[in-house]
Amino acid sequence: MNFRTMFALSCAAAISFALVSQASAEDKAVKIGVIFPMTGNAASAGIHGKAGLEVALDIINNAHPELGSFPLAKNAGLAGLGGAKLELVFADNQGSPATGQNQALRLITEEKVVALTGAYQSGITLTTSAIAEKYGIPFVNGESVASNLTERGFKWFFRTTPIATDFAKVYYDFLTDMKASGAKTDSIALVHDNTEYGKSVADTITTAFKEKGVAIALDVAYASNATDVQSQVLQLKEKKPDVVLMISYTSDAILFAKTFQAQDYKPPMLIADDAGYSDPSFIKAVGKISQGAFNRSSWSVGPAGSATAIIAKMYKEKSGDEMDDTVARQMTGLFVLAEAIDRAGSTDPAKIQAALKATDLKPDQLMIGYKGVKFDDKGQNILASGVIIQLQDGENYTTVWPKANAEKPPVMPYKGW
Amino acid sequence: MMRRLLWPSVALALAIAYPLLFSTPFQQRLGALVLLYAIAASAWNIIGGYAGQVSVGHVVFFGCGAYAAMGAYTHFALPPLVGIPLGIVLAVAIAAIIGTPTLRLSGHYFSMATIAVAELVRLVVTNTEYLGAAVGLSGPTAPRTVFDLSFVSALPYYYLFLFVLAITLAITWWMTNSRMGFYLRAIKDSERAARSLGAPAARTKLHAYMLSAGLTSVAGALYAMMFGFVDPESGLGILISVKILIMAALGGAGLLFGPLVGAAILVPLEEISNNKFGGQGAGLTFVVYGAIIMLIARFQPGGLLTLANRLLERRAKARETTTATTGAGHAP
Amino acid sequence: MRAGQNPALIVVRCNLLATTRGFMSFVILQVIVGGLLLGAVYALFSSGLTLVWGMMNVVNFAHGDFVMLGMYVAYLVYTLLGAGPLIGAPMAMLVLATVGIIVYFALIREVMKGPMLAQILGTFGLALLLRYSVFWWFGANFLTLPENIIGGTLDLGGIRIPASRLLAGIVALAVTFGLHLLLTRTSLGSKMLAVAEDSTAAQLMGIRPDTMQAIAWAIAAGATGLAGALIATFFYIVPTVGETLAIVAFVTVSLGGFGSVPGALVAGLLIGVIESLSGYLIGAVYKDIVVYALFVSFLWFRPQGLLGKS
Repeated sequence: MNFRTMFALSCAAAISFALVSQASAEDKAVKIGVIFPMTGNAASAGIHGKAGLEVALDIINNAHPELGSFPLAKNAGLAGLGGAKLELVFADNQGSPATGQNQALRLITEEKVVALTGAYQSGITLTTSAIAEKYGIPFVNGESVASNLTERGFKWFFRTTPIATDFAKVYYDFLTDMKASGAKTDSIALVHDNTEYGKSVADTITTAFKEKGVAIALDVAYASNATDVQSQVLQLKEKKPDVVLMISYTSDAILFAKTFQAQDYKPPMLIADDAGYSDPSFIKAVGKISQGAFNRSSWSVGPAGSATAIIAKMYKEKSGDEMDDTVARQMTGLFVLAEAIDRAGSTDPAKIQAALKATDLKPDQLMIGYKGVKFDDKGQNILASGVIIQLQDGENYTTVWPKANAEKPPVMPYKGW
Repeated sequence: MMRRLLWPSVALALAIAYPLLFSTPFQQRLGALVLLYAIAASAWNIIGGYAGQVSVGHVVFFGCGAYAAMGAYTHFALPPLVGIPLGIVLAVAIAAIIGTPTLRLSGHYFSMATIAVAELVRLVVTNTEYLGAAVGLSGPTAPRTVFDLSFVSALPYYYLFLFVLAITLAITWWMTNSRMGFYLRAIKDSERAARSLGAPAARTKLHAYMLSAGLTSVAGALYAMMFGFVDPESGLGILISVKILIMAALGGAGLLFGPLVGAAILVPLEEISNNKFGGQGAGLTFVVYGAIIMLIARFQPGGLLTLANRLLERRAKARETTTATTGAGHAP
Repeated sequence: MRAGQNPALIVVRCNLLATTRGFMSFVILQVIVGGLLLGAVYALFSSGLTLVWGMMNVVNFAHGDFVMLGMYVAYLVYTLLGAGPLIGAPMAMLVLATVGIIVYFALIREVMKGPMLAQILGTFGLALLLRYSVFWWFGANFLTLPENIIGGTLDLGGIRIPASRLLAGIVALAVTFGLHLLLTRTSLGSKMLAVAEDSTAAQLMGIRPDTMQAIAWAIAAGATGLAGALIATFFYIVPTVGETLAIVAFVTVSLGGFGSVPGALVAGLLIGVIESLSGYLIGAVYKDIVVYALFVSFLWFRPQGLLGKS
């Protein structure tokens, strides 16, 4: 046998081996596919999300009586399916819509998952859920905020997280209340990147505020993954807005915080739109120089001994970081999906879809601060909501608004460092 | 003549049979993806391999096709198929505009200029609402007619891409055997010498660039149709330029089937490492992928197909010597 | 603002400037100063690249990841030894120089003999390998060195200069000067240049091309590691940071002229200022467009770059 033949044969062997279906066995387990960014620029979010979902899996699959009336926690496994265990199959979308789609296809056709969740980046959620729609597999999204996701007339797509229009309302109400208690909130500056996230949230906020008669004074757009943001900070320093609303991913959020300090700029009020400012890396890196920053969140740790505090502790043990809002929303998406499967009592996708449509969870059944979970006919959770939290000591966020949920009153003005 | 057609015919037969033998949706889709990248890499090969002008910004033409397809659908409700001729016109025009001043730059400067132009276009598109800005443009979510080319199964895509690849390779083969190919070889060897012998270097390179651009845009349009979505990162990102370049390089730039071999190895390699390692979140996918690419570059800088060709030549030479000395017919 | 001037006078002078020409021009001055500091950083991490690209004609797609490695070395020095860049920077230089030598013998020496494509292929693979090995070890979290490691911001009459960036800028000048001296005034430098010019002729003169090239590669990698360690004092550290920085380095090096270390400095400063000014005057989303457009136009009129050889 000469080299050429051997070479050709080994290539063929390698390719055939690789192509052979490698779906894992485990007949009794109910498989759910999870598509997150595990590599690339958003890998931090994906890996934290994985840790969160693994905690959720533990809660569902094992008995956790200490979590009280939290659904699926009391007994091990899914009661509606005779105690069957849930299994999560994770896949990496590599930050690419094409890869996300390919992985979705593999999860559906090879791993035979009964539902999908993911995919963090809105553009990837878009393409990935399109595959799920074609194959008739339920797709529950817990964290992507682009509005077009629920405007496609899809029947298999469900979203539990609040979206940009919800946040705009939260900010407006919060600012109105702050104005009533004496703060100056007349000129508002939006600082956002030009990604799908930054731009769509900024546009939504601008439109929503305009409808209420409030004009945005300054719109500072920048290219994400910036190497330097001094010019933007100088623009803010010049215009002196009363409120600065930051819509940034972690890398840029850190850079902005550092540049604020370098340029000695402290806006009277700083509000952050989740994402970067919620990332534990941000708090570790520049929390101490961002004291007083407001943030919107649906998650709050709650009093010691409460179900949410226990879950936060489990997450910290698993990932080494504090629970943040994005992970909490991702976990909620999984819980809602698992609850629907449990209620459907079947792994038939159509039954799961029907169960999802009929979902009606109350606030005390959720680990997150939504008013409940109920999907409209577009698949959007109409009871999704958020609160305002504040980084008062530079280390932890506390809920400060609305008054009903507040642990402490808001501290003004922005302290910085 | 027959011997030369042997391997290509075998390859064609295997290619036609592949999705019928490996018929799970994932395997079929993987095959379609290999062919899609092979089209783009083969198109690149015309200017990068045969003409020796390494363009690291070819994604701009890919994006022309992808955005033309999705734009035609989003703004004019036309089937994305219209994006193919539209994209070709756009890509060829852009190639003519940037090629004329850039092709006279020497090697590395040309490559840098192509990167800069591609990034420039990507940034402009990211800030242009009409082209979807950062959100991107989507295609039809459900097919209206068969011309929308929005299929659930990957099988139609596979054969469509195979057809387009065959045409691309045929065009490339025709070009190499034409006067243009003759000039390109001369220019690649030594541009100054070729020019002194009367070869119209600038015009030839420009035509090769335009041809390459048009074919790359077809690949882009086909990609958009299959995935139903394009945004600045997936349609104009530098990673795509690098991917098609390394596929051609890995297989053998300047060889007709080099890009196909490169795509046939790199695309499954990436998908399969992702399947195996992706979910763990440890980044192993790219450690493996990067290491393998590095090893191939180190041990076979000319590409894998050159290795195969060399072995074939060696065997042919051995056979000649044997027949010459022993006078026997076929060596074992 | 020369050293030794009475700070009060500086403040008074700037205020006069501000009131006579309006607040705008004062801010512009800050923008320009910021741009120069930014540009100096660009020059710092590009000098290594221009060395290998110009002298050895090697396109290094893994350059950004060398910077990233330097950043992580500085991070390790801080977390394990509690030391700042005084220890971190030399450590990063040493580690990266070693990495450079290993990479040279393991990969570069072979792909150098091949076409540019082989170099792109090989260094791209190397980039992924380095990036995701660091990812595998450190995870995807964004890390930073504490604020006070090179603390404080100098306030020169209202112009704010972060000390960490100023340090990086000064080192950039020093490195440029040092490399330039090395290449033009030392025998090692002339040997390296000889090999770059014509390696066969150099061999005939008793110079070993392999050794010279390995040394060149080690020096370039060391300079890049130094850059990374300093950048880590004011930038975030993440495995994928190389992607962002690599393309800036490529543009800086080709604008300055492949192989010209002073060219990289001038180009870096220019790009920094243009970026800063256009970001402030036109809008941050367009600043990169301006830089690329100017870069491409420049290439068409002067293909060899600012200080490159024709």
